[in-house]
Amino acid sequence: MSDILDKYKWMGPIIQKMDRDIKRIFMKNFRMRDKNFFPEGDYKADVKNLVNCMLCPNMCRFDCGTLQAANSETMSPAYKARIGYYLTIGKIDPLDPSNKEFIDLMYKCSNEESCKVWCPFEFSVVSLLETVRDDLNDKGVMPDYCKEQIKKLKKTNTIEDHNIYETYKEKGIENIETDGKDDVYYYIGCESMKFPEVVKANIEILKKAGVKFSTNLEKKVCCGGPAFNIRDLKIAKELANKNKELIENTGAKVVVSDCPGCIETLSTRYQKAGIEIDVKFIHIVQYIKDLIDNGKINFEREIPSEYKKVAIHDPCLLARNLNDTESIRAILNKVPGIEIIEPIYNKQYTHCCGWSGTVHWAEKNIAIKEATNRINELKETGASVFISACPECELGLAYGISENDKEKIKIIDVSELLMKVI
Amino acid sequence: MNLENFELIYKENRVKIKDKAKIKSKLGEIVGNENVSDKEIDILAYNKDTTLITLNWTLEGKIAALPDFIVWPETPEQISSILRLANEEKIPVIPFSEGSGVVGGAIPIYGGIILDMKKFNKILEINDKDLTVTCEAGINGMNLERYLNAKGYTGGHIPQSLYTSSVGGWIAHRAAGQFSSKYGKIEDIVMGMELVLPQGDIIKFKTIARASTGPQLDKLFIGNEGTLGIVTKATLKIWPYPEKRALISYAFPTFEDSLEATRQILRQQIYPAVIRIYDADETNRHFGHIEKAKDKVMVVFVCEGIERLVDLEETITRETCEKNNGIYCGEAPVEHWFETRFKVTETSSTPTFKIVADTIEIGFLWDKAADMYHSVIEATKKIQGVMMMTAHVSHFYPNGVGFYFTFAGIPPKEKTDFEFYQEVWNCVVKTVLDMGGTISHHHGIGLNRAQWMPVEWGKSFDTLKSIKKLLDPNNILNPGKVYESAWKEGGRN
Repeated sequence: MSDILDKYKWMGPIIQKMDRDIKRIFMKNFRMRDKNFFPEGDYKADVKNLVNCMLCPNMCRFDCGTLQAANSETMSPAYKARIGYYLTIGKIDPLDPSNKEFIDLMYKCSNEESCKVWCPFEFSVVSLLETVRDDLNDKGVMPDYCKEQIKKLKKTNTIEDHNIYETYKEKGIENIETDGKDDVYYYIGCESMKFPEVVKANIEILKKAGVKFSTNLEKKVCCGGPAFNIRDLKIAKELANKNKELIENTGAKVVVSDCPGCIETLSTRYQKAGIEIDVKFIHIVQYIKDLIDNGKINFEREIPSEYKKVAIHDPCLLARNLNDTESIRAILNKVPGIEIIEPIYNKQYTHCCGWSGTVHWAEKNIAIKEATNRINELKETGASVFISACPECELGLAYGISENDKEKIKIIDVSELLMKVI
Repeated sequence: MNLENFELIYKENRVKIKDKAKIKSKLGEIVGNENVSDKEIDILAYNKDTTLITLNWTLEGKIAALPDFIVWPETPEQISSILRLANEEKIPVIPFSEGSGVVGGAIPIYGGIILDMKKFNKILEINDKDLTVTCEAGINGMNLERYLNAKGYTGGHIPQSLYTSSVGGWIAHRAAGQFSSKYGKIEDIVMGMELVLPQGDIIKFKTIARASTGPQLDKLFIGNEGTLGIVTKATLKIWPYPEKRALISYAFPTFEDSLEATRQILRQQIYPAVIRIYDADETNRHFGHIEKAKDKVMVVFVCEGIERLVDLEETITRETCEKNNGIYCGEAPVEHWFETRFKVTETSSTPTFKIVADTIEIGFLWDKAADMYHSVIEATKKIQGVMMMTAHVSHFYPNGVGFYFTFAGIPPKEKTDFEFYQEVWNCVVKTVLDMGGTISHHHGIGLNRAQWMPVEWGKSFDTLKSIKKLLDPNNILNPGKVYESAWKEGGRN
């Protein structure tokens, strides 16, 4: 209440001047505000901010990836919040099977959080939608595509229908078991396992720099990020506890990962869920940048001509959640002979690959269109090599490349590029 | 879900579509089935624009109006075919792009087909020598401006709705941006257009600097509000991105002093891109933290362009303000304006207190500008329930100004929200019309202002209606707006 009074301090003289009858109605409206529009109830949804969002003129609409991909008002942030509010207060009944599409809308977000950059209230829409998902889960109406992900997490401890970490041998990835005295634990994301060349490059770089580290792929499990997105906090916490044990057993004080989503989950989301791990979590680009700065990695080879002109695709989770847009550039700027071309939407204003949140499960076509939009922005730079630092981005962006461009465009991780010059 | 859970405001006089499945199928043949929808989740999303009273309705679980179909065309030819079908079947077509209008222009009050222009979102060409950009009309304003900025230009059209509006919407509503004293209103910026007429003909106005080839027909379509044609492509002026910006602010003891200072600045042919005068109430609301401005009239200026010109503009602006009793307040208030100009939070808070609020922007010549301001404030403050009636002057020309009034109030017991809302609007509009001003400077007419068009236009309104009838004999394109007074019929009075 005090923040409201402070914000509307300028209204004091206005209220004083009101005639008595109007003042009475106004004060009643003020007192009844919560009862009228934010009724108490058995829900977790952030109704106050859902209302703030749904009555906003959509000030973030131009940078909402799913809206720009779908080109439909239905996908606008304020409308999503509006439906979230109606589902919460029962104006739309979530238990009525004919309302499935309204429930699905709560998952049609790519978690890129561009909206937060422009939001007059400084929140992200997904942070609101997650609170609605909490209630949908409590009511037992979690969408089937989310249930499938949870089922996989339970069965395989990864987001695949098989334990993807078990494939390391066939992919030629070296497993380094911990002796409990590591300096660094290299935390390999589930999705990173789909890009073995990236994982191999990172292992090689860490080895070349003389870092004492392990990978522990035999015991490795998903960070739980997908479960946090879906808001199945039970399975999310189970995975978090497994990871806590895994990480603490390495003795490492620094955990590096090739996946910004993993770092975000291991640090911020675990903390919010009450699971503390006393180590430093950083994305591997930041760690590699420090290794280069400290002279632990040297550039020994000429960059191959086909990699001389590159565009940077900042992963949204790295740029906006982990606030690191400089490490990639610092590394690339040290590569002799390279030309870096920035796309129009870069750094904290980067656009999403479409694969970060839940929309790629809820409506894959929108995620693909989002990827296509991003590929077009990157193509506009004139470069045909796009550098990223996130397996989700590599996965998503690949969907956005047309058949004609498949031979021309290369999407590679920073570490893969580094391996060509060190 | 069934939409019966919601109270529908505009439920009378809806078009009766006998065979919806057939129409849907025909629309699908034109644009592809994936680009047509009659799903509840979609038609609910297009029930309104950003007209402020509709936000109160939304919070209360009321729906302004419901379309029957949404279509997302991608070519002018598809729009042409949709319009031909609509004419055959006598179904209204309501153009829509970003939905930021505040006069109900995109509300489908009779149902029908919402024609969403969002897929017309490409930037086609920048011509550096001609200083033009050609783009499709559905492109979002901020996405166009960001692109131009990255290429070293500005479009100069920066309305507060920049983030939430489209080029087509700007043209349809004859919009103005906050930097209009330098770059002009949209009618000064549009150089060429392609549009589809109500019966499906596609016409083009070529891009030219000036011509003398008969009446300037293209102007007829700037401000047509989707009633005479649908703009699909436009060529707009652009400018090199300003080399320098000077931020200047002054607090004046009286509203008259501030008006006089700005009038004299423009009379000297000095055109700061931004000039904004805030009356004492708005100064206290927006600049309460600036001690020197307390209870005074704050004016912010932004001069921009090449450095030598900006320096000269700044010198003359400052001299003129000081001659007119202005107290220099530095750059901070302008920086504050830059930081907060897109932080729109009031639309979210006022409905939760059941406050009825709106903005009314009107235009006046200099001669009666101050009198008009005082008359509107005095007249509306007498209305029971009005808690706040304030203004800023937002657009400036050598010959006149655009005022932007903001009111908020609580309806007295015996009045509905709508009756109260209407009483305030009537009072402002009557005062403005009596004193010779215009009832809209840049938001347009739409649904809620159409009732005053016969007085605003006088006899010439018959000519305008004849043109509408000629181009759109079946009244297909955006009916209920501009030419007829549907606001009262459909509203809750």
